[in-house]
Amino acid sequence: MSEEKKEVKKETSGKDDGRKLDRRDFLQGLATVPVVGLFGAALLKEASYKKSRKAAKAAAVPGRLSEINVALLGQGAQGEVLLNAMLKIPGLRFRAVCDVWTEYNQRRAVNLLKKYKFQVNAYENYQEMLEKEKGLDAVVIATPDFWHAQHTVDCLKAGLHVYCEKEMSNTLEGARRMLLAARETGKLLQIGHQRRSNPRYLHCNNVILGEARMIGRIVTINGQWNRSAQPDLGWPQKYAIPDARLRKYGFKSMAQFRNWRWFKGLGGGPIVDLGSHQIDIFNWFLKATPIAVTASGGTDYYPKASHEWYDTVMAIYEYETKEGRVRAYYQTQTTNSSQGYFENFMGDQGTLVISETGKRGSVYREVSAPPWDEWVRKGYVTAPMLVEQKPEEETEAVLDVRETISPDEHKLPIEFNDPYHKPHLENFFSAVRGEAKLNCPAEIGYESAVSVLKVNQAIETGRRLEFDPREFAV
Amino acid sequence: MEERKFNNLQMIALVVLRVMAGWHFLYEGVAKLMLPNWSAAGFLLQSKWIFADIFKWIADTPEVLKAVNLMNIWGLIAIGLGLILGCFTTIASLAGIALILLYYVCNPPFVGLFYSIPMEGHYMIVNKNVVEMAALFVTAVTGTGKFAGLDRILSKLFRKKK
Repeated sequence: MSEEKKEVKKETSGKDDGRKLDRRDFLQGLATVPVVGLFGAALLKEASYKKSRKAAKAAAVPGRLSEINVALLGQGAQGEVLLNAMLKIPGLRFRAVCDVWTEYNQRRAVNLLKKYKFQVNAYENYQEMLEKEKGLDAVVIATPDFWHAQHTVDCLKAGLHVYCEKEMSNTLEGARRMLLAARETGKLLQIGHQRRSNPRYLHCNNVILGEARMIGRIVTINGQWNRSAQPDLGWPQKYAIPDARLRKYGFKSMAQFRNWRWFKGLGGGPIVDLGSHQIDIFNWFLKATPIAVTASGGTDYYPKASHEWYDTVMAIYEYETKEGRVRAYYQTQTTNSSQGYFENFMGDQGTLVISETGKRGSVYREVSAPPWDEWVRKGYVTAPMLVEQKPEEETEAVLDVRETISPDEHKLPIEFNDPYHKPHLENFFSAVRGEAKLNCPAEIGYESAVSVLKVNQAIETGRRLEFDPREFAV
Repeated sequence: MEERKFNNLQMIALVVLRVMAGWHFLYEGVAKLMLPNWSAAGFLLQSKWIFADIFKWIADTPEVLKAVNLMNIWGLIAIGLGLILGCFTTIASLAGIALILLYYVCNPPFVGLFYSIPMEGHYMIVNKNVVEMAALFVTAVTGTGKFAGLDRILSKLFRKKK
């Protein structure tokens, strides 16, 4: 015992003791080698975490595609956005462009398509296009809202699959006609609520709210689209549309043609143009349609003569979901862009903030909620972000007993850098090929239209309006 | 017989310190290696204090930056392995101190200097870099590789061949 101690005493000095290399030297010499193995194991685990995150990001790889013959109906600002997205989608053959502003919109679209080696026929009148163009498979409609119903019904009846911009129609009667025409003809009708195909939104719906139920029971929602004050849209004088043609297509003047969104009977105002995208997300994520809406709004800033629809709208929806009552606030204002646009879902275990802009997409865990380690490991959200330290003079406020500690921020793992409308258009064209189901068929577009158009009605009547569940069915 | 310096527990504690520092170095290197586009440029460009111009010149000169990035990554990995395995412990420790000293003078936590890269704690003059340098100072002078580490085997082999 004492001898052994002596030996230890000698060698622990770390100095060469002059003895030969023996078993003890090897054991102690290699004592820390297993640490490298441990390190390797940890590294492998990290690599597999990164791999699962990457897999979550991976998009579907297109195989060989049969060509789809496409016509474009309406090539204004929104039509141009859709066209630019479609030019990034393989397997499309553009055949025809129709726009009543032949001097400007139509020419621009034709020239753009020429650059991409598409020789297209140009039309002012869509009926002429439907008569003359044979062999079309699909049409993409981006005309003013009040034309949607007529255009969509006629195109469906001409045997085309239709992608129609939202709002489905400015009247429920029109929207209903569209839905029925789709059912009758058996053709596809996709409504342009493009967030329904956005991989970031799909991840939120299917994984964060669906599989993982990360934020728990949603009780309240708020959303907004705030936009800076803008002058009315103008037009180059030399390209003005003759009055007779304007009247033929339902417009009183060139100014009204350019700014149709603000006019009753033509569009629905910002709540319909902007709000409908986001209120559709409320419905989608809650898997419900609203039971009532209260709203306040008006043309508070712009001249009423040129802005018949409300420049400022604040609405509160009530939902009855399987889990209980949900209240959802939505505002849109067109006089200040503070905080931009987003949808914010608040559950008893966390918060989901999402926006079509890639800048916003986070999930916050309530401090009292169970840990999210499993979801982080599976790559559903990123590990929490470090909260940046503020210099002390800025944080003098001491946490009050009424406050809770601010929760950790987890980011969505999915980056999406394509044009916003591309996945939704891809979904439509895949469905045309019979390879996918529409993400926003007429039935969903209709539910959204019922939900949104009621806001304008609630403002007009100044009352809380209830939805009859039968209103959503056709 | 030489005077005993440390007892077993103290030696083990020193080895643990060495291995932990090594782990940190190794991962700092490997993590940068695994990031496809990692570069020291952002860190260098933030440089404050008297050497800022030199560090910014490195960041702005592509060839130099590339060399610095490679030397940094493989330096970290080599030092990390050396410390964990107790292989050339003293050299690895001194090299580690030199490397950290560069990080430190690039972005020192001096009073009145603020950085946009968020930090996870509060530091004034002494930050974790300084603490790690002090730890490496300990591992450099205690030669724990000859207690538990490849240095133990190497030193005896070397002596035997001689």
